[in-house]
Amino acid sequence: MSHSDTIPLHSTSQSDIDEIENLINSNPSSVLPARPPSPPRASIPISSAPIPPPAFIPSNLPAPTNPKTAPVPSVSSAAPKPPLPPRPSGPGGNISASGFGSPPNTLTEPVWDTVKRDLSRIVSNLKLVVFPNPFREDPGKALRDWDLWGPFFFIVFLGLTLSWSASVKKSEVFAVAFALLAAGAVILTLNVLLLGGHIIFFQSLSLLGYCLFPLDIGALICMLKDNVLVKVVVVAVTLAWSSWAAYPFMSSAVNPRRKALALYPVLLMYVSVGFLIIAID
Amino acid sequence: MDESFSNLPTSYLLGSVPAVVSEEKTPSSQEDGDEQQSTNNWKGVFSISSYTQYFNVDTDVVLNRLISSLYPISGDFFSKIDANPDLYGLVWISTTLVFAIASLGNCATYLMHRRSDHSTSWTFDVSYLNVAACSIYGYVLIVPLAYYFLLQYLGSNASLIRFWCLWGYSLFIFILSSFLLVIPFEFLRWTIILLGGGASASFVALNLRSYINESEITIVVISAFVLQMGLAIFIKMWFFA
Repeated sequence: MSHSDTIPLHSTSQSDIDEIENLINSNPSSVLPARPPSPPRASIPISSAPIPPPAFIPSNLPAPTNPKTAPVPSVSSAAPKPPLPPRPSGPGGNISASGFGSPPNTLTEPVWDTVKRDLSRIVSNLKLVVFPNPFREDPGKALRDWDLWGPFFFIVFLGLTLSWSASVKKSEVFAVAFALLAAGAVILTLNVLLLGGHIIFFQSLSLLGYCLFPLDIGALICMLKDNVLVKVVVVAVTLAWSSWAAYPFMSSAVNPRRKALALYPVLLMYVSVGFLIIAID
Repeated sequence: MDESFSNLPTSYLLGSVPAVVSEEKTPSSQEDGDEQQSTNNWKGVFSISSYTQYFNVDTDVVLNRLISSLYPISGDFFSKIDANPDLYGLVWISTTLVFAIASLGNCATYLMHRRSDHSTSWTFDVSYLNVAACSIYGYVLIVPLAYYFLLQYLGSNASLIRFWCLWGYSLFIFILSSFLLVIPFEFLRWTIILLGGGASASFVALNLRSYINESEITIVVISAFVLQMGLAIFIKMWFFA
């Protein structure tokens, strides 16, 4: 099964290794051959990679399709938000340890590259969602590039900040804040879906999580400065900012006659979080 | 429910993030959900499309029902909701009430302690949220269920969704009265809660009586009244002591 013109692989290669070999043949420039799974010591010349490849080939590669297409409203009621694995970046991304032409193989890249890519996605989504720019050229970009790492960090950060600020029952405060925000995001999305709106479940979770960023800043300021009046002002400002960021998204998702029905729960959640921030001493 | 919103233009507010990415796909996915529902009844439990019929209300309808819950004497609530009972009121009124009594209860307790002892400092008791959530959600889910089964047993037909709708809207008065209960005068608080509880309880009882329409189950009506008053007194004593 090994072709003479390519790297000699071990004879127990699976059939999809042939597929991979075809890809290698089609793009011979940046080739990083992976080792076969069984007891290995095949003599594989490593072409130009700065790091050694992993010791196994996953038999089903992650599908190299763009994961942001073809969303369907999923119905997982009250599902907790899972952190998603890192996604391949857009076509043409040039990760140094890329394996098979396009798309790059994210399993073989350095961890720092993965983290950097996810961080840059979080920052770009944040800029798109929380600082809506009227002259932005592609308003739907934040939706297509949704991810759940950002919301996860913001929710955990808010829970931790509230928990640090509390003087008694710290763990209960964290639990209440986390449950309120996580369950709240899921329930708000379900609410829009039940009212007959058009929204995609994870996009909405992602956007509601990113809209928490101003409240995170507010909670941090309130933790550092303990004056009640300052807290009220800061929380009011950040609450208005969060609601303003979430408003266009939620209001466009439902029938205009039901707009208030969809927006009121968002306001309720942010007001309750704001009250928690002020009230935790 | 099937009025298609794909004809509506997506919002082009400047700087907005349009939610609908693939409008042309969602009508087909909705139809798939309906087809699935007709072929296999059990799958309908996990599909959102089977529950949208209970949320088929507009803003003005909800406001109308909220206002009518403040008039306990009229007794025509069931005729109002007969064609289109909704669970939106149940879910969000009870959630608002949980938050309101937890937060305002903390404020009220602080103010009461402040009157008797000027040196108390503000503490926020997070367990108010837990107790509020358990009691309000438990009450508003279980009591209508119990009445549904009771009335089925006693022979008259009952509709669970309408009962949930009724009890959900009956909690609206408590939200308004909990704002007033922050005032730290004990006599005033008792007056407010008894008035509010009485209004809510008579709303429930009178509507239930007009719905059941038989004279030998007045005990059911009276017990509904007593339970609602019990909830009111519990709210007062636990959260606004």
